[in-house]
Amino acid sequence: MSGASTDPPVSAREADARVAVDVKALQAAGRLDAARERFAELVTRHQRRAARIAFHYLRDAADADEAVQDAFVKAYMHLGTFREELPFEVWFTRILINGCLDRLKARRRRERWIAPPLVDSAGNERDAGEYLPARGPSPEDQVLADERRAQLNAALAKLPERQRLVFVLSHFEGRSSREVSAMTGLNESTVRVHLFRAIRRLRALLSSGAASKAPLRGRTNRAAR
Amino acid sequence: MRLVDLVIRGGHLSEQAIVAAVMSGERPAHLDQCGLCAERAVELSRWLDDVRVAGVTVADAAFPAERLAAQQAQILRRLEQLDEPARVIAFPSHARLRRETSGHRVAAGWLGVAAAAGLVLGVVGGQWTARISGHATAVQAVQAPAPAQTPTQPAAVEPAPDRAVPIDASLLDMDLDSLTVPATAIMDNITPRATQVALVSSRSGRK
Repeated sequence: MSGASTDPPVSAREADARVAVDVKALQAAGRLDAARERFAELVTRHQRRAARIAFHYLRDAADADEAVQDAFVKAYMHLGTFREELPFEVWFTRILINGCLDRLKARRRRERWIAPPLVDSAGNERDAGEYLPARGPSPEDQVLADERRAQLNAALAKLPERQRLVFVLSHFEGRSSREVSAMTGLNESTVRVHLFRAIRRLRALLSSGAASKAPLRGRTNRAAR
Repeated sequence: MRLVDLVIRGGHLSEQAIVAAVMSGERPAHLDQCGLCAERAVELSRWLDDVRVAGVTVADAAFPAERLAAQQAQILRRLEQLDEPARVIAFPSHARLRRETSGHRVAAGWLGVAAAAGLVLGVVGGQWTARISGHATAVQAVQAPAPAQTPTQPAAVEPAPDRAVPIDASLLDMDLDSLTVPATAIMDNITPRATQVALVSSRSGRK
């Protein structure tokens, strides 16, 4: 897994830093239209990655959409506090994750006091990914792939939040432990432990197919031996 | 190779070590010597690749290009709202007042004159109307014919009209003397009759 440890190209970091500095200067000069136009470059560059992180973290496309918007607006507002020696990506992802955390807390409060949690007839939490529109025809391979994705989605949803976040950042986004640590505010060793636990649990969930039926720890320990 | 791996796992790497090796890309020397652990590492790597592809596909399906474009437009709209200070819109009544005062203006003195003229006209008109209606009522009362006399049925008499003359002729002609109560007969005899007093006063008034 070479992608997990490779850093993004230096040129991309430099380009981000350059754009951020330009936007700051334009804001200070009062040329706000030009500042917004320049900032749109950063939005274009980081939007899809941010959407993936927010979607996997929040498990809801609409929530993720709003979280990404809020994160970019906050980044634009507080760009004056951005230090050029840090990668913009790390700084922005921290903003995004904090926003996602706030949304999760708000959602929990809402579900506790207002609306019951969404569960299906089997008692499992409903997953937004299961209701995504199908693309094109559905031959056997497509059905199997969809089934697999749905299983993965359900398994990801069963991970604790931190494990899921660390897994998504480390594996889906290819960030190193140090970068994930900077993005999340966790220690590097904690990141590594969360990552290992997330992988172990995901493997157990996906191999068994029914996560809640058997104790995972004992089974995975036996498998490890 | 850690001692615990050597003792418990028969010299093979733990799952955590395999995960660390795969995720970090740092290949331990043991993987070159142990086919079983190398196979485990390859299997884990394939599984992780599958998981990543599936996860990214799900997320990208939730955010197609059109949605991302709409999202970007919305972000820029919000940024524009942030940059532009809020404009205060004038209350409609202010605008109307300004329009009225900007045109031809009526002097305050003329408003007072108009109010006084209205008051005078109202008073004069009211007096004139009262006089006309009073004259018409008096003429009507004089010209009204006396109704037929029904001394035995006082209850059938129509109620006195509410006019300028307080007592109607029919009421005056009623035989109220027959309405006596024995217990109050003495008091009744010494009390002057109201009908007689009214009749006398009305006749003197007409003359």
